[in-house]
Amino acid sequence: MSTLKPPSLQHRSSSSHTSTGPPKAPLKVDPSATIADTAVFQGTYPVTIGAGTIVHPRAKFYSFEGPISIGDGCIISEKAVIGAAPGTSSSSSTSSRPSPSSSTRPSPTSSSMDLAPSSSLSRGHDSNSTTTPTTRISYFVTIGPHSTILPGANIHSAATIESLVTINRHADVGAHSKICSGCQVPVHGIVPEWTVVWGSEVGQRRKRARTARDPAPAVVVAAHVTQSPVPAPAPEGKIIEDARLMVLQKEREVLARMIVPAGASKRK
Amino acid sequence: MSRPFPYTFISCPCADTPVPDPARKRRSRESPRKPTAEPPTDPDHHKSNTQQADEVGQSDEEDDEQTFDPRSPRSNFSLYPPEQLLYCEDCHQIKCPRCITEEIVSWYCPNCLFETPSSMVRSDGGRCGRNCFNCPICTAPLTVSTIESVTGNASGHGPWVLSCGYCMWTTLDIGIKFDKPTNIRAQLQKMTDSSPATGYDARSRQGSRAFADLKSPLSNFASIDEQSAATEREAEREVSNEDASSIPQLGAEARFAALKNFYRTQISETSNSPNDPLSSEFGFSSPGALNRLMSLYASSSRLSGLYGGNKKQKSKPPVMREALTAAEGLRIGSGDSDTAIIERIASAECGWDGVASMSQRTDQSPDVRFVDELLPLPALLRTKRAKRCRSCKHILVKPETKPQSTRFRIRLIALSYIPLPTLRPLAQPAMSPVTPTASTPDLNALSPLRTYHVLLTLKNHMFDPVRITLATPSVTPGSVATKVTVLCPQFEIGANSDVWVEALQNATAPLSDRISSMRGGEKVPEAGKVWEKGRNWTTVVLEVVPGTLPGMNTEDGETEVDPGKALTLQNDEDILEIPVFVHMEWDAEAQLEQQNVGKASKPDDLVARELAYWMVLGVGRIQPY
Repeated sequence: MSTLKPPSLQHRSSSSHTSTGPPKAPLKVDPSATIADTAVFQGTYPVTIGAGTIVHPRAKFYSFEGPISIGDGCIISEKAVIGAAPGTSSSSSTSSRPSPSSSTRPSPTSSSMDLAPSSSLSRGHDSNSTTTPTTRISYFVTIGPHSTILPGANIHSAATIESLVTINRHADVGAHSKICSGCQVPVHGIVPEWTVVWGSEVGQRRKRARTARDPAPAVVVAAHVTQSPVPAPAPEGKIIEDARLMVLQKEREVLARMIVPAGASKRK
Repeated sequence: MSRPFPYTFISCPCADTPVPDPARKRRSRESPRKPTAEPPTDPDHHKSNTQQADEVGQSDEEDDEQTFDPRSPRSNFSLYPPEQLLYCEDCHQIKCPRCITEEIVSWYCPNCLFETPSSMVRSDGGRCGRNCFNCPICTAPLTVSTIESVTGNASGHGPWVLSCGYCMWTTLDIGIKFDKPTNIRAQLQKMTDSSPATGYDARSRQGSRAFADLKSPLSNFASIDEQSAATEREAEREVSNEDASSIPQLGAEARFAALKNFYRTQISETSNSPNDPLSSEFGFSSPGALNRLMSLYASSSRLSGLYGGNKKQKSKPPVMREALTAAEGLRIGSGDSDTAIIERIASAECGWDGVASMSQRTDQSPDVRFVDELLPLPALLRTKRAKRCRSCKHILVKPETKPQSTRFRIRLIALSYIPLPTLRPLAQPAMSPVTPTASTPDLNALSPLRTYHVLLTLKNHMFDPVRITLATPSVTPGSVATKVTVLCPQFEIGANSDVWVEALQNATAPLSDRISSMRGGEKVPEAGKVWEKGRNWTTVVLEVVPGTLPGMNTEDGETEVDPGKALTLQNDEDILEIPVFVHMEWDAEAQLEQQNVGKASKPDDLVARELAYWMVLGVGRIQPY
């Protein structure tokens, strides 16, 4: 417990003394959302959180570079970081740059794109929408513990981001995709929908079955040789995802009861 | 060595005595007598030759007495961390992994912890025959889960799938579902088994035997020379018929079985001695093959004279033919299939991610090229192994048979017989008044020609006190000559008695111990004195003066670096390893069979035991200037 206390105290002090601490982000939270007391919201741009979304303790939202929008029914696990903190934005962007620069995308464009929002000029110019990247997390997304979603990332509905994942700036994760633990999505990287990124670092990719697949060739051959009918077609791969989303719904219901909701002051 | 400093290794003596050669021993025993009768003007050269041989044997014997060199290439194979060694109570010797034999006690699945009978292991392919599968994509274990809630079936009847929790692969990805949640392996086997035998078990011998009889109607000819043309034509017709009726190709396993059966029958029928046990046992009749080879040689003109005796056996040997039909395992690759594969690889919906990687294909059928053809892999079995002494065959380690148990019935680890050596550097006394506190030397950078004190602690795990004699070469072998002195080479280690008995016996002792330990900081290493002594351990001091590295000049002036020597330095020459010979003696309680009359002088059935071995102390790395 002693290890848990200092950050919460720090957070309270930062939220109460807005004049001295970092600015508190303007929050727009749906009343049915559950947000833990110790979640951190900092920044200048608004943070929107949709209905039924769960935000675990010590999740951090930094909206210094652009607005953050979280859709309905998401789970943001503890210590997940959405956005980039102002102090660490330069350091984190430089630290995250070497790995994307090694990817196929030409580094000069990405670095120039990245440097623009983090510069101090952009903070004053809210109207300049091209340099304020919106971090968008769509419906029914799960963000694992200690994962980092950098500004400008776009995560589509029903995606799963496991623990210790880094979604770099302006990356796009498709619907029903999964980024396995410890993997990275490079700057401007695109993960198509129904895709699993697994392995380590950038990882390997695999397409999930969405429709009913034909039986494996070995089964077809066996059926032909033995003159037996080919086994009845298996149901669509989509039902696995349906089942997962059902389980996710149950998990959210339980979590909403377990996590003590934030005080009335937190809700707008 | 990869271990951090300081480390200790113990040398298993098996490397020095590879084979107990009785002839050599006899010779070496004789050799001491011979040199006395060695006249330099011996006319008989045989004798002097044997003499030399004897001397070689003698020098071999002397090699054993030489200092153990931790840098010699052979010592790599004999040095082990103390905890990896075993001890044979019958040979009274340290046993390393090289001088033991292993035997499998039980096979079990690491996933479900079920023991597989050894008779089933082979037929199951060394894999779990139940429900344990690994993901073919990412090798994570698969779980059996139901999809009944989604498909709306009644509870307990829903179709079941294997699903991977990590990469979200399910058997629906390859279009497979299971009707029962149990015995998935058999269900999968039934689905993928492509042998035309009625029984789904491809391994059933009855079925394959019948299959073999059925598909080799042409192999009865003693010689196919005159009929081969007709046969081939017939076969071609057969093949074309099959193509017309579009009988599908066999699966890889079934084709292999078919080919194996085909060649087995071919061999048995073409061999001259069909009743040859070899052919029936292994499918390869060596006499038949040999005859054919010999007749080849005999027919050649040059060798006909040599093997002329065989000429009379002129009857043409039967010739094996190749598989001709798909039922015999023949598969004719068509060019279309290759282009189809290439097109599929190049297509947008397959791409890089759709092609199975090499690691994914290793355990799959060789025909598998794409990710959606991969089948779930049954989990590989593991073994529990017993270990035996190689020389006396006594069991050294015997684990419990049950996979759930981690206990051992017998486990003779060496550390319960030999003292555990641990090494730590002695804090240096303050060198200058500027740094008043004693500092521990950095073992990764020992400066040459400076005296270091290293504490060697030996901890006894036996219930008898042990007398230890340490011996070390005054200068370490190798090109870096480090001076080593054991300040107290002979000492005793107490028995590993009960902690509380000891504490109660000398209740007053701890105080004085504490005082002495408090003064430990100012204690000065003294020759002939034990540094510290505990209940079952003793610490002695080694004085080490690291030598200078080759190519490094201590005399100021010339500082040339010999390139050849610099090269040898790369070979870990700067690591300071000290070989120490440990000789331990103790009085053990005699076992029943070892009570002999000769030892009767010892009271209480005590037998004097001794054990000697080399150990290597890795002190640190010498720092180049």
